[in-house]
Amino acid sequence: MDPSFDDVWAECEDLFVQARQRLAALKSPQPPHVVQASVNALFRTTHTLKGMAGMLGFPRFSQAAHRMEDIFDLMRQGRLRSTDSLIETLEAGIQALESGLTELRRGRPEPEDYLHAIRRQLGELEALARPSEGAVLDLTALLDLPPDMLKALSEYERTRVTAVLLAGIPIQGVSVRLDLATFDDRLRSISEAAGAQGELISTLPLEMHDDRDGLFFLLLVAAPALETDGLDVLPEENLEIMELADPDRVPASLKADPGPLVAPPAPGPAPVASHSPAALPLDAEVLRLPAQRVDALEARLMTVAQVRDSASLALRETQDPGLARPMAMMGEIEAGLLEVQKALLQMRMVKVESLFQRIEPMVRALSRDMGKPVRLTFQGGDLELERSLLGRLTEPFLHLVRNALDHGLESPEERSAQGKAETGSLKISASQRGRNLRFDLRDDGRGFDLARIEARGLAMGLLKDGQIHSVEDLHRLALEPGFSTKERASQISGRGVGMDVVRAEVEGMGGDIQISSEPRRGSLVRLSLPLSRAVIACLKVRCGQQTFGVPLNHVLRVQSSLAPVHGGGRIEVLGRDLPMESLQACLGLSEPSGGQQFFVVLRQQGAAAESGLDLALGVDEVAGRVELLLRSLPELAHAPGIMGGSLQEDGVLWVLDPEAVMGLAMDSLMKRVADV
Amino acid sequence: MSESRLLLHARAAGRAFLLPVSELREVVPGSPVTPIPSGPPGIQGVVLHHGEFLPVLDWGVVVGDPDHAAPPAVLAVLRPRLGLPLEGLAGTVEAPEGGLNDPPAEDAWGPILAGLCRLGNQDLPVLDPDRLLALLHRLRKAR
Repeated sequence: MDPSFDDVWAECEDLFVQARQRLAALKSPQPPHVVQASVNALFRTTHTLKGMAGMLGFPRFSQAAHRMEDIFDLMRQGRLRSTDSLIETLEAGIQALESGLTELRRGRPEPEDYLHAIRRQLGELEALARPSEGAVLDLTALLDLPPDMLKALSEYERTRVTAVLLAGIPIQGVSVRLDLATFDDRLRSISEAAGAQGELISTLPLEMHDDRDGLFFLLLVAAPALETDGLDVLPEENLEIMELADPDRVPASLKADPGPLVAPPAPGPAPVASHSPAALPLDAEVLRLPAQRVDALEARLMTVAQVRDSASLALRETQDPGLARPMAMMGEIEAGLLEVQKALLQMRMVKVESLFQRIEPMVRALSRDMGKPVRLTFQGGDLELERSLLGRLTEPFLHLVRNALDHGLESPEERSAQGKAETGSLKISASQRGRNLRFDLRDDGRGFDLARIEARGLAMGLLKDGQIHSVEDLHRLALEPGFSTKERASQISGRGVGMDVVRAEVEGMGGDIQISSEPRRGSLVRLSLPLSRAVIACLKVRCGQQTFGVPLNHVLRVQSSLAPVHGGGRIEVLGRDLPMESLQACLGLSEPSGGQQFFVVLRQQGAAAESGLDLALGVDEVAGRVELLLRSLPELAHAPGIMGGSLQEDGVLWVLDPEAVMGLAMDSLMKRVADV
Repeated sequence: MSESRLLLHARAAGRAFLLPVSELREVVPGSPVTPIPSGPPGIQGVVLHHGEFLPVLDWGVVVGDPDHAAPPAVLAVLRPRLGLPLEGLAGTVEAPEGGLNDPPAEDAWGPILAGLCRLGNQDLPVLDPDRLLALLHRLRKAR
């Protein structure tokens, strides 16, 4: 693949992300002008994709993007209602284009029709939007404007005027007089302010026959009313607001049957201009930067931080009380540097939610096509992962989801016969476990057919006859290259090139995949991926001369005792008698001879109090809470119990991997018992 | 001459040796090494390199000479992201024609060498990074 097109591929990926987010936002009730802006943006996105595909030399992709663009055009003209089924079809279309693009990037040939799976639905939509007998409803005559101005409206603006009036929204006119030198900036500013209060349909130049200087404009805004203060108009700009069209003047016969138009918002509280948290800022400028630039900036920042540390050390060594103020300023610089580091890290990170957004439409479509109703739940969408991992994870996830629906979940009839609910369950959760981001995909289906896996393994020569094969071995076998229990390929999965590809992709990211299942109770596929960098909140503790960070999400409680306790002892925490092990013993460092009086009570993340393992970790001192930039240790330097480190003023602060430390503590406690 | 025939002539753990330049990422000034609690054998700790932790070799463990774990003057960064602390650099030399000779069986560096290279009137050991990494993995497994 020509590397000079890397930017184009990357931009296409961004466009798909934006398209998915906008489609997801359309599923919840929005003010009409927000819906319209989203549809406009989707129209532009597919238009851009069409052009890019042409540039890359993929004519069939370009045709498919053009077809999607046409559907968005029909929506923005108000000729298609924004319904759940329409959004679902559009999501499937965007997903098909995105998958197609991934295949093209891998060097696969173009398919005949990227939108094959939704061809029927697209045809129905196009037929639905076709005007009957050529008649197109046009209500622009209701605008209180001179005929020559009405003629200036484009076809799109006319359809929008008609659509909003049928939806019962008045059209306001905003006239302003702008200075010749600054009119472009001012017009943009006022247009944005008006767009925030309603749907900006048109900006028309006005010809004024008086002796006033400047340029005159009329903005057509669909909104129940406009707030003058919110329009950001200067006093000398002669703002005037007038109602240009009243929806009450629309003939009742038309209101009763508005035809295929954008659905009005659900009745309820008055629409507000603010977007839901998930929505994109509509006109946010997106900067694309080569990752190397961010790398170089991070390295430079690190050098600056090191200089700051040296300066801070030099100041401290002078021990001059008059330097208290400069020392405090050093603290401010430190805080500022951490903020910049976090911001840089943020540039590389995306929320796990965006991965979930890719999966959801596919599950719904598969569920419908296979006739297997499924309740899909997500957890941990707020966690973050590196953008580079997101792209690599999507395909493996889609395959796992396909597998779960195709092989895992039973038909409603089969589930009923087994006493299960007809609707199956698929839960996808993300959690941070030590230095890993863990994804669990659980279904409540039939589980892996281990007898069949064993038979297939024997037939393929992967297992030896007469030997006992453990449940773990058999599950692991499903991840071997070319392994499939399906005699013939199904359209959905079972093509023999699935789980091994998932495993290769996950291991290629330095991760690990494990599967387990129980007959008739379901399956669990667990992916663990290492995080190279993250900002985490830690409890700072000291042992000897060394400082450590304990991730706060594992800390249940911090406790002290009057009498020192030695490793291997027990302490009472909230009425429970817990085993105590010294952190030094866990890490192979020399233990304090006098015991320890401070304890960090650790709990396995996500474990319930009654079932989880709690353990008290003895430390010499608790030094407070700190938020830090974690850098993971490379494989060659991997140390048990250490997740990574963070550069601090007084050197590297090692961040503990709580789950690994709990394991080390248990090993150490067992060893103590064995030695007695 | 092609880069693949160029050798870095350096000194570490009290001994002069050669290293193919093609195996190097870069050579940087040495900086204090931060030890890792319960870190793996053969790694004395890490330094920060381009914003990431870089493991630094512990010659003492690898070649069995614990007296040579002094702060490095220079750090040679290998392609697989491992820092070799060096006592000094003599420059680069062109690999002579002909193959390498086997090191003597009792040479403590034997497991990490590609062989001995005859330069002038002396035999200099040529480090093999792949063998070095394999040794580090063996040390870790044996822990």
